[in-house]
Amino acid sequence: MKYSPGDGVLLIRGLSSFILAAPAQEAFTLFLEDCDGEIVQSVEPDDLVVVSAPEGGPLEPAFLLFRLVRDHHAPLVVLPRGHPGSRRLRHVVSVAPQVLFSCGIQRGTHPEQHLICSSEELAGITLRGTDGAVELEHVPPGVRVEILGEQGGTGHVSQ
Amino acid sequence: MCSVGGPMDVEYKERVKGKDYKCKDCGEKFKGVGRKPVCPSCQSDNVAEG
Repeated sequence: MKYSPGDGVLLIRGLSSFILAAPAQEAFTLFLEDCDGEIVQSVEPDDLVVVSAPEGGPLEPAFLLFRLVRDHHAPLVVLPRGHPGSRRLRHVVSVAPQVLFSCGIQRGTHPEQHLICSSEELAGITLRGTDGAVELEHVPPGVRVEILGEQGGTGHVSQ
Repeated sequence: MCSVGGPMDVEYKERVKGKDYKCKDCGEKFKGVGRKPVCPSCQSDNVAEG
């Protein structure tokens, strides 16, 4: 499946969790900060900015986070494994040409930008950025895909 | 079930290490990833590995 969100954002919605994704739209520099120092990532317009909310919840903070990264280029902080802050995170972010969703990783601890934490219901989904569009693979049955306007949404995803 | 807060975690051998770059315009050294590395100090793309 291929979606062109334009200036909007793709919402991939399970029963109790969701993902926001859209192309970066412009080249920019993204800083990844971890315990070993700083990595400078050069982002291309077709790279995807992705926010995952493994526990669901309101769309608004996820959309805010999405915009902080895509539009304001806020740095990403990577926690060391076992850090207590990992369990406080309700949203995680990835920026990469292709992103794979996994439920077997600790939230916020993986600097690999091709991999992001998700709920079990959305695990296995792969997103790829191509020509201003988002290509989806391995979408489980029952998962819905919508395009939100550029103002995002004020809905809520929960069981 | 997601492993948040729990002991389970998948180990990946490939970590984001980044390559070492030096800006030929301003001399800034940095670790970079991505197809077109850009100097974080002066935004020049005139950078070289090493």
